[in-house]
Amino acid sequence: MLLVRRSSAWPWVLAAGAVGLGALAVVLNALAGVRGDPWWQVVLGVSALLTSGAVGLLIALRRPGHRIGWLLLGNALVLGAAFLASSYGEYALLERPGALPGARWAALWDSSSWPLLFAGVTAIALVFPGGSLPSPRWRRTATGVGVSFAALIVAELFTASPLNAPFRQVASPLPALPHAVITPLLAVGYLGVLASLLAAAWAVRVRFRRAIGIERLQLKWLAYGACLIPATFLVCFAGVDGAAAFTALFMLMLVVVPVSVGIAILRFRLYDIDRLIDRTLVYAVLTLLLAGAYVATTLALAVAVGSGSAWTTAGATLATAVAFRPLRTRVQNVVDRRFNRARYDGRRQVEGFLSNLRAGRAAPESIQGVLADALGDARLELRFWLPEGEVYVDARGRAVLDSPEDTRARTPVRRGGVPLAMILHDAALDERPDLIQSVVEAAGLAIEIARLRVELRRQLDEVEASRARIVAAGYEERRRIERDLHDGAQQRLVSVGLTLRHAQHELGAHSNGVGGILDGAVAEIGDAIAELRELARGVRPSQLDDGLAPALRELAGRASLPVKVEATADRFPGALEAAAYFVASEGLTNVVKHAHASRVVVCAARDDGSLVISIADDGVGGAAPARGSGLAGLADRVNAQGGTLRLESAPGRGTTLTVELPCAS
Amino acid sequence: MRVVIAEDQVLLRAGLARLFEDAGHEVTATVGDADALLSAVARDEPDLVVADVRMPPTFSDEGARAAGQIREEHPGVGVLVLSQHVETQHAVALVSRGGFGYLLKDRVLDVQEFIDAAERVCRGGSALDPQVVATLVSPNGGDDRLADLTAREREVLALVAEGLTNSGIAKRLFLTVNTVETHVRSVLMKLDIPGTDDGHRRVLAVLAYLRSAQPQHQH
Repeated sequence: MLLVRRSSAWPWVLAAGAVGLGALAVVLNALAGVRGDPWWQVVLGVSALLTSGAVGLLIALRRPGHRIGWLLLGNALVLGAAFLASSYGEYALLERPGALPGARWAALWDSSSWPLLFAGVTAIALVFPGGSLPSPRWRRTATGVGVSFAALIVAELFTASPLNAPFRQVASPLPALPHAVITPLLAVGYLGVLASLLAAAWAVRVRFRRAIGIERLQLKWLAYGACLIPATFLVCFAGVDGAAAFTALFMLMLVVVPVSVGIAILRFRLYDIDRLIDRTLVYAVLTLLLAGAYVATTLALAVAVGSGSAWTTAGATLATAVAFRPLRTRVQNVVDRRFNRARYDGRRQVEGFLSNLRAGRAAPESIQGVLADALGDARLELRFWLPEGEVYVDARGRAVLDSPEDTRARTPVRRGGVPLAMILHDAALDERPDLIQSVVEAAGLAIEIARLRVELRRQLDEVEASRARIVAAGYEERRRIERDLHDGAQQRLVSVGLTLRHAQHELGAHSNGVGGILDGAVAEIGDAIAELRELARGVRPSQLDDGLAPALRELAGRASLPVKVEATADRFPGALEAAAYFVASEGLTNVVKHAHASRVVVCAARDDGSLVISIADDGVGGAAPARGSGLAGLADRVNAQGGTLRLESAPGRGTTLTVELPCAS
Repeated sequence: MRVVIAEDQVLLRAGLARLFEDAGHEVTATVGDADALLSAVARDEPDLVVADVRMPPTFSDEGARAAGQIREEHPGVGVLVLSQHVETQHAVALVSRGGFGYLLKDRVLDVQEFIDAAERVCRGGSALDPQVVATLVSPNGGDDRLADLTAREREVLALVAEGLTNSGIAKRLFLTVNTVETHVRSVLMKLDIPGTDDGHRRVLAVLAYLRSAQPQHQH
């Protein structure tokens, strides 16, 4: 409790202190009038102080154990102190001398504390992003850095040299140390601080090479902000008004680095760094090119039309405006190709696939392979989300369960906020969220189409399966009815007949004509049994119990024309045998009715996982499956079991009906 | 005759038993399944077994299998198998071994013919249901020689296949025994079946012929 209270109060105290120093400095600077710092310096200085303080406060509040929050708060205090010292000195020494006490101390601090402005950034770079040094061996380096900065500040405080502008005339309140002490101290300080800056850069580099995933992104943020340091030197070398430009860029760096660090530590929009770098590069290059184009066009037009003409400006502007869009695409491609090869290739692969898709050269379902290629992960898997079944399925529509042992990373694909699919990929790809995002974004439409097709196919499969089940249930029902007729009604009738016969026997010679009546009754029963048997056979021939071949032979034996049966003795699933039997039965009925044939051959054979049944006659041919005919009904029944029906019936050349029923259904 | 009856439906079992008793035969046991049948046969050594093809537990062909076993273990026992429907496959295979009968259940209503058939089987003869025979002698089987027979000859052939003797055929067709003999000889010649005076063996030969004339047999 105590710890929490303290850790939540101290950041506020430090931040408030820094802001207080800054506010005081702004007031004094205003009072100093023309002797004060120029307005842009004030704006940049206050911005640097506020960003450092705000980000430091935020980090220290959210993650109290994290050193970088405290370092940033310290940096804000240092900035506030430096700013205040400068303003205080300018007001109390230059504008209104003697108005405030201790003005010389302020001037001294303004002249000597500058190394501290680098110290914050250096310390942050050394411990970024985790808050500790890259390795224990760096401890000595850290000590060296501390000693160097301390030595330089001490040397600056006790040097005999005059104070920095604008306090050159002011005498230091501290005594000067002899040259013999100051010179080596200065040398150690300057070289040490320079080495410290290099060491800080080296630390970032070392970490970056070892880093994966989020840490890599964090370091990229820091590097992005710190890029302003070399930029500062470049500007100085370029000879632009040295001091002012240096100050401006340095302060800008002091604004940008805390923001970058904040984003990196707090992980707010952490993943945007790659896009930011990319955009920066693209727009920097684009700006240079467009500016060049503008200048070149202006010069060319000036030569042609004469300078100063309004047409020159208008023409150059127009040329630049026209060039913008195509140039932007080109530059983006060049930047991607040079700095983001994987993303460039990935997007191009997906775009190539999309154009193949539009031209009908590719199937949407192959999107998984395209993504695997584009992202360079052969084990990549795309699972489509089916909201109806609340289940993920593969490209063939089979449900896949997410196993907890599967260590691959998962990236959801959404479109308009609606989940479409889940990509399972190598966890290493998480380091390139921009790559995944870019490729998935490009492939979004194809994924959606593939998902819809998979969903449709799955629904179709379900409908087909249920149709097959219904047909199979129909066959099973026929079997049950046939059994019931044979074993129930028929046997009961036989029993009744036997009872009547017994009665007849008991009556014996004294029947008085009753015997004749009973004979008639028994004969009626016999007819009823024969009719029942016929009925049962029509429902389903009981020979099917023994297999297709006996059933077909029985069927052939009843036909009114010669039927040759060539049937395999193999057994098949019941519904399949029944289907084949009814195909043959319907086919034979058609032959008898329409073909005027003299012979029929019925074949049933196993062929490569299918039961093939054919009915061939030598009749007139010319048969066609008319709507509502027996043949059309037959085709429906065959389709329901995933089979195919083929009819060859050239006029005068007989008819062959061939039906193929897959066994594995 | 001493008869054992195996039939799972109680009413029908009782009716069958009464039928045999009314005809003056002794029913030594009535059972409801194949196992009970086998032990009853071993115990009673009957002259005839009447068995339903379908019996518990699976109601497929327990009766037929038990019948085959009885014929092998007790060659002196005739077996008459009753079925609810025509099953050519089992029927011909059983009957063509002799001492077997295979009839549709409703044949029992024609008491005299049924008892005749039962007695024939009991004596080592055969009885094959007319409906089964009809499919066997149908000219659709693809055997040209059957198609060469006259209608009367096919009629006679069918009755031979049913297991009837010449006199039985003569009685059924209202012909003289001599005429029947002439027809039979002609049929045997046309079908190239070696003649024999033994009635039983002649039936078996005819059945064997008809069986082989059937396309593609499994058993």
